[in-house]
Amino acid sequence: MNGNHYNLNLKDILKKVFFVDLIQGLFITFNYTFSKTITLRYPDEEKWIPYRRFRGLHTLNRNKEGKELCVGCELCQKSCPTQCITVVPMQDKTGKGIADRIAYRWEINLLRCMFCGLCEDACPTEALKLGREYELANTSMQRSLWTKEELLAAQEIPVEFDGGVIVRARLERDDKGLKVIPDMSVQKRWW
Amino acid sequence: MFELFISNPLVLMMIEVLVICIKVVVVTLVVFSLPLPLTYIERKVAGHIQVRLGPYRVGPHGILQPLADMIKLIFKEDIIPYKADPWLFKIAPIIAMVPAFAVFATIPFGEKVTIPFIDKEVTLYISDMDTGILYVLAIAGLSVYGIILGGWASNSKYALLGGLRSSAQMISYELALSFACIGVVMVVNSLSLVDIVRAQSGWHWNILYQPLGFVIFAIAGLAEINRIPFDLPEDEGTLGAGYHAEYSSMRFAFFMLTEYVAMVSMSVLMVILFFGGWDGPGFLPGIVWFLIKVAFIIYVIIWTRFTYPRYRYDQLMTIGWKILLPLSLLNILITGLVVI
Amino acid sequence: MTEQIFFFIFAALAVGSAIAVVSLRNPVHSVISLMVCFLQMAALFVLLRSPFIAVVQVFVYVGAVLVLFLFVIMMLDIHKASMERFVSGGQLGVIGLLVVLVIEMVLIVSKSKLAGISVASVTHLDGSVREIGEALFTKYILPFEVVSFILLVALLGAIVMGRKEVK
Repeated sequence: MNGNHYNLNLKDILKKVFFVDLIQGLFITFNYTFSKTITLRYPDEEKWIPYRRFRGLHTLNRNKEGKELCVGCELCQKSCPTQCITVVPMQDKTGKGIADRIAYRWEINLLRCMFCGLCEDACPTEALKLGREYELANTSMQRSLWTKEELLAAQEIPVEFDGGVIVRARLERDDKGLKVIPDMSVQKRWW
Repeated sequence: MFELFISNPLVLMMIEVLVICIKVVVVTLVVFSLPLPLTYIERKVAGHIQVRLGPYRVGPHGILQPLADMIKLIFKEDIIPYKADPWLFKIAPIIAMVPAFAVFATIPFGEKVTIPFIDKEVTLYISDMDTGILYVLAIAGLSVYGIILGGWASNSKYALLGGLRSSAQMISYELALSFACIGVVMVVNSLSLVDIVRAQSGWHWNILYQPLGFVIFAIAGLAEINRIPFDLPEDEGTLGAGYHAEYSSMRFAFFMLTEYVAMVSMSVLMVILFFGGWDGPGFLPGIVWFLIKVAFIIYVIIWTRFTYPRYRYDQLMTIGWKILLPLSLLNILITGLVVI
Repeated sequence: MTEQIFFFIFAALAVGSAIAVVSLRNPVHSVISLMVCFLQMAALFVLLRSPFIAVVQVFVYVGAVLVLFLFVIMMLDIHKASMERFVSGGQLGVIGLLVVLVIEMVLIVSKSKLAGISVASVTHLDGSVREIGEALFTKYILPFEVVSFILLVALLGAIVMGRKEVK
């Protein structure tokens, strides 16, 4: 106000006197008050299902006959920048490996894993895939060590599911900790 | 027997005293507990204006959030900074809080009501003072002490600056606020708040006769209760939290409480002075209309908080001294000419 | 009876806080005591049936003047100010002077003609706002205007003194 020399015409002066701009501002916020909110009510009511490209918890896959695809080649272990993967192939007494080779141990230490996905790229048989599970927090370090059997188990979100939506979910707590269970049937996209 | 007992003069006096005590306790309790829903409403309105939800997890739609906050504040550690003035630091929140409550001694909430069973008429105000509006303005001006002393006693730069800003701001805007009230007083011809409301009955609301006075009162009132766009004393961007930067636990809660009570009293005053108090269409009792109007004004105050940015300090002083004060004097002049 | 009890409470608090004003070392504490003293004065005015004066007392002195006092005192170096001695040397002489002054005041009040006259009987006011306003704007219009003129001059003087030199 002091020092500014505007060329005010009558309309601008009247606008200032009757607070036209301020009242317009009030109406903008009033409209937003009753617009739909964009809050994701995770974990109580909603949950975000990521796209397939998401790099979450590792999964070990099987082929159509139900045989494990992992051949225990140890390439993922070699490629891992943080050395969090341990692979021990199945061996027989000859010491040369077996014909139909699978992994004896396949362990990953998620405390060190940074989900770079290099192991997935290195895998020659498409056995290893970074899945869409992302609720990995827990209360004991031991539980961050995932073994082959756990990783082979079916994922909560099926591979066929496209992802990229918010689904209805519910929070469940048991002695193992908290779990957000998604219900894929009710989906929404807020944008 | 009962009739005789009721008509005894001593018993009558006792009943009068009892009624006043009950009124004081009820008003204090209601005002004391009002900040709880108000914090919730403020956060909800803020959330929805910003396309969020606001508090949602504690209880259905977060309705128990203020209770959780209260419990948290009670159990937090009460920290008194090393090198603070301990005596003033402890007493400042209480000095701030007392005037905010004392204002409600003269606020009329409605006309007389008859209580069933004992068949006794009770006024819905604690006292109808001859100098009601002056009392309210004088007492409301006292709450600046708590802020200044809290800011000074903390022995911290931010708190001190907040206290200084607040005292300068409150003195500047108190003038415009009081002058805006003078216009109403001239129209109504009384200083008593009850008379002011009675004079407005039948849709003769003062906002129709005093539009300029209302605008001045609204702006100066916002500045007086330190709300956005005039919340310079607790400007987060430059002062941390302002005068209560060093406060924690219940002492901080007292400052928060004071702010909300001041907001309520300013809305109540605005309703009484400009919106006809408990005047309204007859299908609802007067006190309901009164509460509806107060709630609406509180909503508008919260609404403006999340709409406008904050003024700069020099702009604040310019508005107070160079615009509002001359305008309020002009308002008095015009009102005087019209009334005569 | 009740009024007397209240009078003694307020008067004792007023005198006590007035003593605290001059005896406390920290200037900010002194201002707080002064605030308490003024509030007690306002309460005494209420007991004298003049609520208007009481409210004006709170409004002007407590609400505005003392805030400005605080405003200025807060800028001072409190630590230095509280270390200084109020009266350098000669404490006994000061106390003696004080006693003489008190005796003098008591004598003046008790021996003069003013002692038996109540305030209300002089001004014929019952303290309501309407009567004070009417008296000020009819009977006492000249003193009123002179006072406002003096205040205006003081205001202008303060502005002139506070203004920066314009070259």
